[in-house]
Amino acid sequence: MYGGGYLFEKTNVSELENEDQEQLALFEARIERGEKIEAQDWMPALYRKQLIRMIEQHAHSEIIGALPEGTWITRAPGFKRKLGLMAKVQDEVGHGQLLYSAAETLGKSREAMIDDLINGRSKYSNIFNYPAYTWADSCFISWLVDAGAIVNQVANSKGSYAPYCRALERICIEEAFHLKFGHHAVTYLATGTPKQKQMMQEALNRWWAPMLQFFGPPDKESAHSEILMRWKVKILSNDDTRQQWLDMYVPKIWELGLTIPDENLRKNEATGKWEYTEPDWEEFVKVINGDGLCNKERLNVRKTAEKRGEWVRRAILSRASNKEYVTPLA
Amino acid sequence: MIEILDPRLKRLHLQTGVMPAKPKLDQLPTYEVFLQVKEPRPFKHEGCVHATSLEMALVFAKEQYSRRGICSGIWVAATKDLIVTEYTDNATDVYDHFNSVGDCKGKEYSIFHMIKRGTQHSYAGIVNADSPENALGCAKSLIERKKPVLNVWLVETAAMLKTAEEDKAIWETTPEKLFREAIDYKTAEKLKSFKEKQ
Repeated sequence: MYGGGYLFEKTNVSELENEDQEQLALFEARIERGEKIEAQDWMPALYRKQLIRMIEQHAHSEIIGALPEGTWITRAPGFKRKLGLMAKVQDEVGHGQLLYSAAETLGKSREAMIDDLINGRSKYSNIFNYPAYTWADSCFISWLVDAGAIVNQVANSKGSYAPYCRALERICIEEAFHLKFGHHAVTYLATGTPKQKQMMQEALNRWWAPMLQFFGPPDKESAHSEILMRWKVKILSNDDTRQQWLDMYVPKIWELGLTIPDENLRKNEATGKWEYTEPDWEEFVKVINGDGLCNKERLNVRKTAEKRGEWVRRAILSRASNKEYVTPLA
Repeated sequence: MIEILDPRLKRLHLQTGVMPAKPKLDQLPTYEVFLQVKEPRPFKHEGCVHATSLEMALVFAKEQYSRRGICSGIWVAATKDLIVTEYTDNATDVYDHFNSVGDCKGKEYSIFHMIKRGTQHSYAGIVNADSPENALGCAKSLIERKKPVLNVWLVETAAMLKTAEEDKAIWETTPEKLFREAIDYKTAEKLKSFKEKQ
């Protein structure tokens, strides 16, 4: 589950001056022709760096995103919901593994990625720094946060780096179930008893602003992505993904009789674009830099898992028949 | 910052502070996974898993790559045991870089081909040879190919672990697990009756 925003380091195009210009031209021509780049191909250092950053953040988002939903498995209403949610959370963790492997093909080890996550040096999707107070919050994530991630992931699966595209294709197939599971759960709350409906409405009120932030800051404020677009690292802009999501899901939310907490939300028929009240972008920056409701808890849960699993990893390594790490192939 | 909501997490007394850097190999070496969706389709590369032995890799691969959808077989091999050729450009057959070898005797090698960038390596067949280089030469002569091959992976067949015929039972119940399928979550009726009541 990954949205967009704040993906990349500021792109310093002058770094490209040190690259082999002939190789760079061949590389760019390959992408221009619509061919994929494989792990063993020549690539500019800037491309490698930005891809590692993006795929790694995506992987962390899957692992951390499993926490607010995972906490609801034991309290999900009924056996069927428990089974469904458990399968979904297992998928998310599996997606994390797929993505860590894709990032590894670019030369960063999984040890280094996990170190960077738990020590706060690497980001993950900001939305998971918010708490899931009720079952309805978990349902919102399953349906609408996943929907946002799918918009982004379907776009990125058309990108240039083959191992990432292959992982995303697999992920998108699995997410089809998440989306239906989430929609089903939200539908049952929104069309249920007054109490259930109220619970769903309150969750929607809480998650609306973080959901709009999920796609990242407005394009006019993230102007460094031109080269990333040309290299097909980034496929759709933040505003494009946000608009696509609004277009697909606002009518479905309204259909359930729920009220979206923004009086200014409307589709401008002349431009075909949705107009909305901008979420608080200062808060977004504050939360992404560590000062949100759950940032510390999320990382502390991961730290605890690392600590508690340490003896297991040490034990199996001591009896390992294979102790030779080489970069995974594809 | 809010108080932890989940009582199970509260009881854990969560770890805080800076964690020491993970030692080398803390996340274990990697194994490449090949999966057959259905007989007689070829085995295709799916991705990797982290493990310390072929047995562990096979267990993880089963969980990671075959818990959803159908599957009829999995092969695993340590990444270090795979031999990889250069990638060529789309029109060039990578076998042009190798000389054919006539005397194909020795260890058995499994050969995997990629014919288009972005697609997965797919099982192409076996050859016997006395070295990996000669295995490529033997594959050039012995393995039929309709299109130029862009990249070849090869591995000694003995270095792979494969699911056996009786292992197939592990996938028998997959189709029953409907709770993993989108089709099991139908909302149309519910929505229709909701709208009618409005």
